[in-house]
Amino acid sequence: MTAALPSLPVEVIVVGSGAAGSAVAARLAEGGKQVLILEAGPWRASADLVSSALYARRLKWSGPPVIEEGENPVGYVFNSGYGVGGSAMHHYAVWPRMHEEDFEMRTRYGRGLDWPLKYSDLAPYYDQVQEEAGIAGDAQREIWRPPGATYPMAPVPVFAQGEVIARGFEKLDKRVAPLPLAVTTTPYRGRPVCLWDGWCDAGCPIGALANPMTVHLPRAKAAGAVLVANAAATKIITNQAGTRATGVVVVSNEGGQRTLRAALVVLAAFAVENPRLLLASANVAHPHGLGNAAGFVGHYIMAHAAGLVYGLFDEETKPYMGAFGGQLLNQDAYRKTTHERTGAFGSYQWMIAQAVKPNDLLGISTTRADLFGQQLHDFMGRANRGFAGMTAVVEDLPVGENSVTLATERDRNGVPLARVAHTRHAASQALWRTSLEEGKAVFAAAGAREVWTGTEGSMHIMGGTIIGTSRNNSVANSFGQLHEIPNLVIAGPGLFPTSGGVNPTFTVHAMAARSADYLLANWNAIVA
Amino acid sequence: MAAAGHDRASRPKGTAVSSAAPRALTRENLATLEALGEALLPGSARDGIARYVDYQLSVPLQESLLMIRYLGVRPPFTEFYRTGLVSLEAAANRQFGRRFDVLSRGESQALVTQMAGGTLTAWSGPPSALFYFVLRNDAIDVVYGTQAGFQRLAVPYMAHIVPSTPWGEGG
Repeated sequence: MTAALPSLPVEVIVVGSGAAGSAVAARLAEGGKQVLILEAGPWRASADLVSSALYARRLKWSGPPVIEEGENPVGYVFNSGYGVGGSAMHHYAVWPRMHEEDFEMRTRYGRGLDWPLKYSDLAPYYDQVQEEAGIAGDAQREIWRPPGATYPMAPVPVFAQGEVIARGFEKLDKRVAPLPLAVTTTPYRGRPVCLWDGWCDAGCPIGALANPMTVHLPRAKAAGAVLVANAAATKIITNQAGTRATGVVVVSNEGGQRTLRAALVVLAAFAVENPRLLLASANVAHPHGLGNAAGFVGHYIMAHAAGLVYGLFDEETKPYMGAFGGQLLNQDAYRKTTHERTGAFGSYQWMIAQAVKPNDLLGISTTRADLFGQQLHDFMGRANRGFAGMTAVVEDLPVGENSVTLATERDRNGVPLARVAHTRHAASQALWRTSLEEGKAVFAAAGAREVWTGTEGSMHIMGGTIIGTSRNNSVANSFGQLHEIPNLVIAGPGLFPTSGGVNPTFTVHAMAARSADYLLANWNAIVA
Repeated sequence: MAAAGHDRASRPKGTAVSSAAPRALTRENLATLEALGEALLPGSARDGIARYVDYQLSVPLQESLLMIRYLGVRPPFTEFYRTGLVSLEAAANRQFGRRFDVLSRGESQALVTQMAGGTLTAWSGPPSALFYFVLRNDAIDVVYGTQAGFQRLAVPYMAHIVPSTPWGEGG
């Protein structure tokens, strides 16, 4: 599928081959459009997805450095990807839906922002995408779930680690349900069944996990899309009036610098690189960056706080079994106002009993970073028998000052580096602390003989090019079209005005599907 | 990724790195690194921590397997390691008047504890607690992050694609 850059104009250029880019590209190509996908990072084949936490690091960002600032850095390198398939190549495929209230935060609670669409607008796309990509789950037991079709695959199995933790939730009258995972529990559309080996974040090479290499890139290719790797977009160009995007300047390994023309440009390079490119593409018509007349480009960057809770049990927990994302779900703490008394506000969910390996940032050894020497060996021996863990996905309220801006320093292509500042809202930070207290209580109730928590970290990067009703409150409309440049479309979690307390990838897909449908249905008007 | 002139198999297991030409660090750095590795996780010298770090520092960022990649340190990383190791030697010399690799277990543990707690005086390298975290993870990677390491813990490896070499060298 990888190829040289075309010499003639194409109808669509998609910048980025991750979850959002591959989903939009597949749909537009299937709709008859001639699509070129540009990937800044290297080509990657399934044989490159080596089962090793060490090799997995090659999937992480290794493009131009991103300068991180603020009290709670977004963890850009860890949370993003580089190369064909983007960040989704190492994502854990936890695919819950956002809830109705996530879309109406300002209206319902006077906090955060409203989306310019409602859950009901996305529901049919959630349904459609879960059929395409395949989600295993139990909609009935997921009592918190907003309305939608039942899952196409039976739920993921629960192993010893999940059973042990579930006991704690049950003792406290809290409920658990199978974690909705875009991972196969039955042969699905030619894909084999998962072996529950816990190597998800090293990239699933067998096609059990719904990553771009398995689902959307093959569809895009079958429909004639062309993917060029090692090709970095360095500038989006517009007509003189600044009303239409006319193409992309690309620097590629093979072709040097080229300007490629297209009728439609889709930016799907994730929440930091998208605003970086818009800002770096400033021109006479858009002196502050494309679509940035009101100054919203780059703002409202968000990242979920990870509430990490660990315990040691007397039973064998076989913590290496299962999926990296977990086995069970609890969303009892989703109601935004549950913990308002303590200054906390927002939603969180628990991903319960995540498969864990001995090493790496999320490995067993790192949970006790204070131990070294023989004590560390002793701990590793104990923990591999009775370790259990779970992670709260804690909502990050949108804060305007959390932003992507351009640094004065430039990369080797002359593009200014991105500077990302992120300091969590006090109510979100309080909610993170609340999640840890709840988690410790659950583990104590489950009978853990030791319970401890992890340090604060960020996961999932969102915002930066938020959607809204006009250029006076946002960068793009609900389909991702820039208010000021309708044939320049953003895709990905950068569009989210609020983060919810769930993993973002399923919503990224639902929005990409809705956007592609709209672009195809209104093609002539949009590219005219 | 062929490692020219570098034949791993010809060296007996457990040989110190000093017999191979360093790629990114100095011989002195590597000696400190091995000794620090042993203090952080005994067995990491045997499992090649010095060669692992030195090799990963010598390859392009895209191919590097070092965990420091996602710990907020700006690449390239050689300077981070070099200044940290030199600082550790200076601290050993100041507190005990000897090189780190000849300290007693108690002495090296005392220094590592200070490093982890950020209380080493006159430390001139990267933040010492971060240096501790990074090097500790490197030691864990070579001891427990490989197929042999999983086996030691009786954890089934369950590979889809088996690593051709433990950490890319010679692969």
